[in-house]
Amino acid sequence: MTIGLTHYLILSAAMFACGVMCMMLKRNAVGVLVGIELLLNAANVNFVAFARYRTGAMDGQIAAVFVILLAAAEAAIAIAIFMNFYNNAATIDVDRGATLRG
Amino acid sequence: MSLIAQSPLFWFPDGTSLSNLGPMWALIGTMVALLLAPLAVGRGARTASLIALIGAVLTAAACFWVLPRVGEGGWAGMAPFDRAPMLVVDNFSLFFTLLLSLFLSAIIGLWIFGYYSPAPHSDMHRNAPEFFVLLLASALGMVIMVSTSHVLMILIAVELASLPSYALAGFDKRRRLGAEASLKYVLFGGITSAIMIYGASLLYGIYGTMDLAVIARGMASPDGVSVLSTIATFALMVGIGFKISAVPFHFWCPDVFEGAAIEVTTWLSVVSKAAGLGLLVRVVSMLAQVGIEPGYGYALATGIGLFATLTCTVGNLSAFRQTNIKRLLAYSSIAHAGYMLMAAAILVQAAPDAAHPAFSALAAYLVVYLFMNLGAFGCAAMVYWATGSESIEGYGNLGRRHTFLAIAMTICLVSLVGLPPLGGFAAKYWLLVNVWDAGMIWLVIVAVLNTALSLYYYVRVIRQMWLVEDDSPAISAPAGGLAIVGLCSFVILWTGTLAIGTLRITAEDATKYLYLGGAEPPAARTAAVSDAPPSGSPGGFR
Repeated sequence: MTIGLTHYLILSAAMFACGVMCMMLKRNAVGVLVGIELLLNAANVNFVAFARYRTGAMDGQIAAVFVILLAAAEAAIAIAIFMNFYNNAATIDVDRGATLRG
Repeated sequence: MSLIAQSPLFWFPDGTSLSNLGPMWALIGTMVALLLAPLAVGRGARTASLIALIGAVLTAAACFWVLPRVGEGGWAGMAPFDRAPMLVVDNFSLFFTLLLSLFLSAIIGLWIFGYYSPAPHSDMHRNAPEFFVLLLASALGMVIMVSTSHVLMILIAVELASLPSYALAGFDKRRRLGAEASLKYVLFGGITSAIMIYGASLLYGIYGTMDLAVIARGMASPDGVSVLSTIATFALMVGIGFKISAVPFHFWCPDVFEGAAIEVTTWLSVVSKAAGLGLLVRVVSMLAQVGIEPGYGYALATGIGLFATLTCTVGNLSAFRQTNIKRLLAYSSIAHAGYMLMAAAILVQAAPDAAHPAFSALAAYLVVYLFMNLGAFGCAAMVYWATGSESIEGYGNLGRRHTFLAIAMTICLVSLVGLPPLGGFAAKYWLLVNVWDAGMIWLVIVAVLNTALSLYYYVRVIRQMWLVEDDSPAISAPAGGLAIVGLCSFVILWTGTLAIGTLRITAEDATKYLYLGGAEPPAARTAAVSDAPPSGSPGGFR
């Protein structure tokens, strides 16, 4: 069996579904961040697979490199913010952040 | 050197391309200067604020310098071999950059007056260089948001605008509310931007390019629109909807506005929405200008119109029971985002010429909205510095305690309702006239009903200021801050009466020449779907 575009797209869709499940079910902020990273990597698989099998150009691969960079920057900021929230509230349970409401 | 320049693997932009990006260079240079200054002259707050202020003014000056250089039709470039331009500079993006840099100077001014006010200093004042670097980085992201028509650049710009904003919202590390606000902001922003990037990857796969102009031509071709491409377009819009806090992506907005410092709140309330709307109208106009199929265009217009309806209705209804002034203004800004979304809804309708009236209506609304919100938040900031309170209760009898502040706040709030003879009315009237002309009469009815609804909660604040007995002592406010809100009130009065025509002409000039995609359609690069990679494809390193 040859591995083709379809297989990569199925992998990407599965990763997307896992990421969405992770974001919805996890109550821990780091868990939600893991879900976000899964979504971004699903997009990366799409970018690279489409570039390889569909357009034959480099722009998809370059987009994937930029998305990796964006994911790293976002994780750095997010984890700093989780630390800050932990210092203030002694938890990173997203349901406990309920002081602001209305 | 010429050998390298001719090689297909290396490409360098020329001097003209680089100088057309003057405002962006000014912002980047200021950020570098802000980071290096602490090494040379210490971490003084005064030095940092002065450098940031000079940078903001230089950015505004660079807009005037670039404007005659780009000429009609704008300039598109920063791409090798004249394909898929990464950055676009035209009248609309320069107008927006100018607006943003002027607003940036006002925010830095507010910061300086807060620094010298009797209110205690926070981390924002102690770590001034970092604060301004983050502020300018988000400004750069927003400038790129309105000056691009390339999907990858849109993703990078939205992230560049968002990531510093997450940090700014929780900049004061000792405030629990700020920590919670930034937690909600980063999680919500991360989820929406991840969905947006996934949508972009699908669009790339379907149309084989990331240039919006080519994607639009692909959509216009027979069988160009499928269920998958509609979902992908919608996913791309999710990220933009988050930036403009359109319902149902608005949950972050009130919490962040309440938890963040008031300078940051003012910054986010205007430019985050302005940049998101600028990006949205550019995306929609690029998709619409090649003549998409009427049925699909009608569905798109109705969809955006429904989002606009939902956004302003939910914003206005939720504002009713707010007791915190920042939260009230947050819901008010959601409602205004709804009115401005109506401009995007009529873009899909065919335009008489290249300059669609929706652009100028949106530009005029943004100008007035900037001054209304700056004035209202400036007054709220000065009441906070003097009393330490952000609740509407604290505005009791402000008319006696500080008459000038109360008059300025009243003008801004009445203008936010949209009553004549103020600028808010002129801008909203012109927007609704354009919506009416486009045949979306139900949208006009929604806007008018919402205006009537919104009267209630704005008048509640005005009543608190003038009619409620309160024997709290008189308050004092810094003269510079009073000058800013005084100027805002004057501009609102002026644009609503004598300068209605000037406002309209300025907005029309600002949107006269737009970049709407390349002149000639590049050859389609999409190969047929197959499980085997295309042979002899260019640029592949295999």
